[in-house]
Amino acid sequence: MSYLSLENVVKTFNKTEVVKKLSLDIQKGELVSFLGPSGCGKTTTLNMIAGFLEVDGGKIEVDGKPVHLLPPYKREMGMVFQNYALFPHMTVFDNVAYGLKLRKVPKTEISKRVLEALEMVRLDGYEKRYPKELSGGQQQRVSLARALVIKPKVLLLDEPLSNLDAKLRQEMREEIVEIQKQVGITTIFVTHDQEEALAISDRIAVMYEGRIEQVDDPASIYNHPKTDFVSQFIGEVNHIQGKVLETYENKKCKMHFFGNEQIVSVPSVKNSEVHFFIRPEKIQIALAESDESFQTRVERKMFLGAKTRYILKVQDRHLIADISNTVINPTEIKEGNSVYTYWNPEDLLPSRMAR
Amino acid sequence: MQAGIGTEHDLLLQQKKKNMNKKRLDTWLLLLPTLGIFIFFFLLPLFFLFMTSFKNFDASTGVGNEWTLQNYIKFMSDPFYLGVVWRTVKIALLTTLITIIISYPVAFQISRSKGRARNYLTLLVLSPLLISMVISWVILLSNNGVVNTTLLKMGWIDQPLTLLYTELSVVIGMVHVLFPYMVLSIMGSLEKIDPSVIRASQNLGASSFRTFFSILLPLTLPGVFAGSVMVFSLSVSSFVTPAILGGPQVKVMSYLTYEQVAVMLNWPYGGAIGFLLILIATITIIAYSKILARSEKGVAIQ
Repeated sequence: MSYLSLENVVKTFNKTEVVKKLSLDIQKGELVSFLGPSGCGKTTTLNMIAGFLEVDGGKIEVDGKPVHLLPPYKREMGMVFQNYALFPHMTVFDNVAYGLKLRKVPKTEISKRVLEALEMVRLDGYEKRYPKELSGGQQQRVSLARALVIKPKVLLLDEPLSNLDAKLRQEMREEIVEIQKQVGITTIFVTHDQEEALAISDRIAVMYEGRIEQVDDPASIYNHPKTDFVSQFIGEVNHIQGKVLETYENKKCKMHFFGNEQIVSVPSVKNSEVHFFIRPEKIQIALAESDESFQTRVERKMFLGAKTRYILKVQDRHLIADISNTVINPTEIKEGNSVYTYWNPEDLLPSRMAR
Repeated sequence: MQAGIGTEHDLLLQQKKKNMNKKRLDTWLLLLPTLGIFIFFFLLPLFFLFMTSFKNFDASTGVGNEWTLQNYIKFMSDPFYLGVVWRTVKIALLTTLITIIISYPVAFQISRSKGRARNYLTLLVLSPLLISMVISWVILLSNNGVVNTTLLKMGWIDQPLTLLYTELSVVIGMVHVLFPYMVLSIMGSLEKIDPSVIRASQNLGASSFRTFFSILLPLTLPGVFAGSVMVFSLSVSSFVTPAILGGPQVKVMSYLTYEQVAVMLNWPYGGAIGFLLILIATITIIAYSKILARSEKGVAIQ
């Protein structure tokens, strides 16, 4: 039984559908990320859930009750905005108390709950400050406290970390997950940052052009992308193609890549070209030749701290390989050297391209 | 080596100082023409006016040779003149209040509209500044003007109403001429508001009505105040509008000054009235800016 459900939700702007029959079920207490490039409809969808935009079709239900016809102020959803959206003329206390005052909560309870909320986001003692006297991270925490203090049914986070600098962003995202789990609130987290989504989500809904391409837990999204878009958007990929030499039972076939042969498990037709993706960290290199490897030339080498990125040239193609510096010492390989490249056939991600 | 570094450092400092002096000079150069005009055509006459206001009146030369406070005492002790001060301030306050009420919705609508509609609306609002419409109010409001003839024809009145040369007609004209200042000022502060702040308020459970009074209005008060200062001070010192729409029947301070200087040729007394007018405007501006500073305390330009 899902807690928040979107059913065939449609949004049209100037006759173009920006959200196309989108359906999604979210469990109570779950943190689901909407991940996608800008213009994929993730923020539009969030705004429809919050009620700032009307749905042009379909329905949105919370706890079994339809909410898509309610105005935003009756939806009982807490929202945290990208640019904090604190009320600049109110103190931190009044900002957090705003929602409670509207709900006619008694005064003593308001101050108790506000102080609790501020304590939760580690901002006790800041009640009397004005938003402009706080740093970006503190403002965003006030915003989070303000959204949570009204005990909303759903917490909506609209790219809450994108205005913060890198280090603070990591700290804040851990804090958000911690608070989210502690409160146990159903949460939607909109982001265009895949690392952020992978790090915090129970499930990720990868969106592209108004559709959900795949909804899955982070590991499945990364390791078993279901569409080409997901493979290319999440993490990096090399695009390679091979020729099918022979087909076997169990959807297996023998394939030809860069002068070497591999048994790959992918349904195919003999003599056809099959496209694959492979992640840079799944490509291995060795100085000595083996049965599975093929020869490549190191065009460029980039030291990235824990790993080194090698741009390898084979025939007329480039492959990117990320090799941990503990596996191969980068000083052993010079630009222009030949190295032997191989991969595990199970790490190949089949592509639907040109099929 | 040490000395070398020292001199290099000194050189750098000197260069910096030179640059700074040059910069300061540049700033002044740019301001010079305006400053010149300001000093010669505003401050200097004002100074002479101030001096003149403490001189006695001489029937043959206009300005006498003796120093006196008589002009100010005469003004302050005469109920007629005090009545004019009160009328002037009353008209200015009424004008300010009415412009706020009619400008806010207009500013709100313009700040929400986009593209061509926005440009046309802005132009429409600015039109009173571009074309003087005071005369058209005479045509509308006079005894045989458009309003009276229409009302007579409809049979709603038997005699023409006295609309022109009343405080009402002065306020109407003043509101018309001055409301663009208020609209622009309120628009400025409305546009500074982050739209997600409005959404945040709705999201937390506030209706549009509540959001207006709790969020939008407080955040735009600085704009309302700034507009009020402009409208009030322009209205207190305005001459053409009250002269045409009020005439001698509705005397305001600027009209009195004009009368003393141009008709009675009593320069010292005219100077004193003029100076009191400037004083009233200055006091209100200072009072307003004090309130403005307080109300802006929490309102962050983030």
